[in-house]
Amino acid sequence: MMHWRRIVARLCSLFANRHAESDLAREVSSHLTLLADDFQRRGMSPEEARIAARRAYGPLEQAKQAHRDERSVLWIEQTMQDLRYGLRTLSKSPGFTITAVLTLALGIGACTAIFSLVNAVLIRSLPYGDPKRLVYLFSPNPGLKIPPEVICPSYGDFYDLKREAKSYANMSNFEQVRFSVTQQGSTQRIGGARVDEDFFSTLQSMPELGRTFAGEDNLPAHAKVAVISHSLWVSMFAARPDVLNRLIPLDGANYRIVGVMPPEFEYPFKSDLPYGDPHIQSTQVWVPLALSAQARTSRGIANNVSVARLRSGVSIHQAQAEMAGIMARLDEQYPPDPHDEGIPRAWGALVDSFTGVSIGAVRPLMRLLLAAVGLVLLIACGNVANLLLARASERARELGVRAALGAGRGRMVRQLLTESTLVGIGGCAMGVLLAVLFLRLLPKLDPGNIPRLNEASLDVRVFLVAIGASLVTSLLAGLMPAIAASRMELTEFLKSHAMRGRSTGHGRLQNALIVVQTAMVVVLLAGAGLLIRSYINVESVDTGFTRSALTFHVTLNQRYSKPEQHVAFFKELIAKLEALPGVQAAGSVNYLPLTNSESLTYIWVDGYANKNYQLSEGREVTPHYFTAMNIPLLAGRYFTDADAAITVNRPVIVNQKFADTFFPNRNPIGGRITGDSKLARWWTVVGVVADVRNTSLEEEPQPQIYNASYDAGDASVAVRSRLPPATVETEIRATLKAIDPSLAATDIHTMGDLVSVATARRRFQTSLLAVFAGIALLMALVGLSGLIRFSVNKRTREVGIRMALGAERRDVLLLILRNASVLVLAGLGTGLACTWIATRLLKSFLFGVGQHDPFTIVAVSVLLVVCGLLAAFAPARRAASIDPMQALRAE
Amino acid sequence: MPIQILQGTLDLMILRTLATMGPQHAYGIANRLQQVSEDMLNLNQGTIYPALLRIEQRGWTRGSWGKTENGREAKYYAITRAGLKALNEETERWRQMAGVVEKLLAEEQ
Repeated sequence: MMHWRRIVARLCSLFANRHAESDLAREVSSHLTLLADDFQRRGMSPEEARIAARRAYGPLEQAKQAHRDERSVLWIEQTMQDLRYGLRTLSKSPGFTITAVLTLALGIGACTAIFSLVNAVLIRSLPYGDPKRLVYLFSPNPGLKIPPEVICPSYGDFYDLKREAKSYANMSNFEQVRFSVTQQGSTQRIGGARVDEDFFSTLQSMPELGRTFAGEDNLPAHAKVAVISHSLWVSMFAARPDVLNRLIPLDGANYRIVGVMPPEFEYPFKSDLPYGDPHIQSTQVWVPLALSAQARTSRGIANNVSVARLRSGVSIHQAQAEMAGIMARLDEQYPPDPHDEGIPRAWGALVDSFTGVSIGAVRPLMRLLLAAVGLVLLIACGNVANLLLARASERARELGVRAALGAGRGRMVRQLLTESTLVGIGGCAMGVLLAVLFLRLLPKLDPGNIPRLNEASLDVRVFLVAIGASLVTSLLAGLMPAIAASRMELTEFLKSHAMRGRSTGHGRLQNALIVVQTAMVVVLLAGAGLLIRSYINVESVDTGFTRSALTFHVTLNQRYSKPEQHVAFFKELIAKLEALPGVQAAGSVNYLPLTNSESLTYIWVDGYANKNYQLSEGREVTPHYFTAMNIPLLAGRYFTDADAAITVNRPVIVNQKFADTFFPNRNPIGGRITGDSKLARWWTVVGVVADVRNTSLEEEPQPQIYNASYDAGDASVAVRSRLPPATVETEIRATLKAIDPSLAATDIHTMGDLVSVATARRRFQTSLLAVFAGIALLMALVGLSGLIRFSVNKRTREVGIRMALGAERRDVLLLILRNASVLVLAGLGTGLACTWIATRLLKSFLFGVGQHDPFTIVAVSVLLVVCGLLAAFAPARRAASIDPMQALRAE
Repeated sequence: MPIQILQGTLDLMILRTLATMGPQHAYGIANRLQQVSEDMLNLNQGTIYPALLRIEQRGWTRGSWGKTENGREAKYYAITRAGLKALNEETERWRQMAGVVEKLLAEEQ
């Protein structure tokens, strides 16, 4: 046993303590002086005496080394002793230990989990070379009242930019595309992208197998090659190494596979693009864009996305300024494109950072979560500090006795610190376990489109943060009581004899800690309360449609090229669906609500003071769509089957917002609208339906026109049935297969599912903040209860005297409760003041509720006071049940 | 013939010295040990440092810097109450031990 300790000791002595070392040197030289003095007294010359002293002393270095060894052995032995002692004392007071460890574990666990999340979403690098230099290029047109990030420069403008701009190292264009892939008789639809020759080099991404596209791949004649994603390689080709040069059928045409991308590269993800294809979650296959020479010079709006990599040292502002100059010149040089009906040639310039687009939206949420979890950790630290302070006061007697028996101060501080470090290590270990648990649970909350959330995992950095947080917490919390206890005056202690009567002076500190903790809890509770109110408001928004409608998407393939074929297909599909048992109605629409896509048209209204560029959403529906979605009719009539065939004076249905905006104080029925700038072909309003929340639950409905039409290349179909969705889904698949087995029903959801997805982000942030506020409240109550119990213990004698002098039990109870409520009210007051300021940061998260919502403030205050009094009640009742005789005798 | 010090007995001898003579510096302690043993102890004076450190760390002595009669600075060790208690226990243990050894040796002869 001693043997290995000696070895460790020698190692430790390498890091010898400087103070002990200088002390030793001083002592040795004094020893030698004294020896030499003696020899001189016996008659030696000073020189002889010095040599004799060295001889009598023995080997100098050896003596020093022996001292050092002993020192380190002692250090290790003491540490072991401290650990043993610490574990023993901790296990003797399990209440304290469990509370302290659990409190720390909750704080650290929550903190670690959220930090891991933030790390995955914001900090960890993306699978593209230096994503900070990636930018999107947009060309907003002030004439269009649409968000600036919808339209990228036309191909013609883009390649002019590419030739002239000096800001970029690389520039690329791509278009999103959906492909049908048929494998063993079943058809599935996957997300893809048609990319130009610079796509992979702009992103600086390398394939894990094979190659990406070379120059000649982008010639239309050679364009039947594909790069596939890792997950498609695994699912379709069982990760076989000989996948290269195999064929993959995309929309019926065979493409030769030339490369496989690594697992993390599925760009563009849905969240990577501001207005991407809502049906594409991630990209599984890339094929060459292969523009014809004519398409390359087209100046009309296309479906492209322009992404570029800034040259190093070039700022976004510089790039933006350069692009604005070039676009202004191009605007003068070219006339408006004849295909972009009536849109003036006024394309501006907007350079947006890629990271801003892909994670900018979730950044405030991440900050909110970090702030909340930081408060939770602070409360946990405060709690542990309070527990340790109370414990140190209770142990003052023990420490006093030990000091009187000769225990050194440093030694006692070390021992107390060992104890709190043990608590810290315990808290850390449990906290990491909790963090792993939290991380498992987080994705279950289904937060919607937060990029890379599922990749959140504990990594080394997060782990270090956890350890650091727990150790700093426990050391800080342990230091104060340790120093206070060791500084105690021994004689004072021996005189006062009974430590219980005398506080060691942390009383005020402990009270302050509780007040601060309570204040932080108030802030968290108020934040959670406001978010919960917002969530309830969002959930109770009238969506305008029934949540029970089952919807699916169907895309016709190249066999349906003529409008008559489209019409025939959808007529047959709707008729067969409506013939199914239990189905009440079925109807299709080109852009389903809450799927993040829409079509905007300019309109002119007869008899209205028309302005330029009046926008309305336009949707093409089959006649029974409104019945299938249960969208209420407010005036006029729904479409009939005959309406879809009318070509002159087409009947249209508008929503209430449209009627209110363009037919104020007029009957909209019979009113005339046109989308034709020459005002030649008019539509007639035949009905007004209720507003539908199309973009999101939180955005006000926009004016909306519905046309009746069966002519669509792809559409979403809504089916209302009395049967359960699962049964209807099977029937839908069977019906579609009976009409054309090469077509697939995708995105099968009830409208309720879509609502749930639309509110997922809000549900995520609300439940997280509510959980944190709950944890914080619980911790603060545990802290408060502990403090009251501690003060009751200290005041046993005082309570005894009061009762001996005639105080009723009720008086004692009230006395203690009054003390507790002073603390709670002080915390509440401070907290409300902080809340007043802090909720301003919450403003962007709120819906239908003010940042100083009085209801929330009252509810939080009541909750806090009630909980606080409940927490204080148990110790207060114990104080009231003190037997005065015993209390007085106990001293 | 000089004798070697038995393991652990040096601590006891130092405590005893301090209890008898009051606070002493290392040189004083070493001198005293040599005097009492009539120079039979083979004691390099440096060897008592680990023992001094050990008993100080156990809280049996307390060290402080002071001046000798001749004005030299030296670290003085004073025995504490815990040290006195330990001295009693260690003395008792030593006597038992020595008794056993003595008895055993006597029987063997």
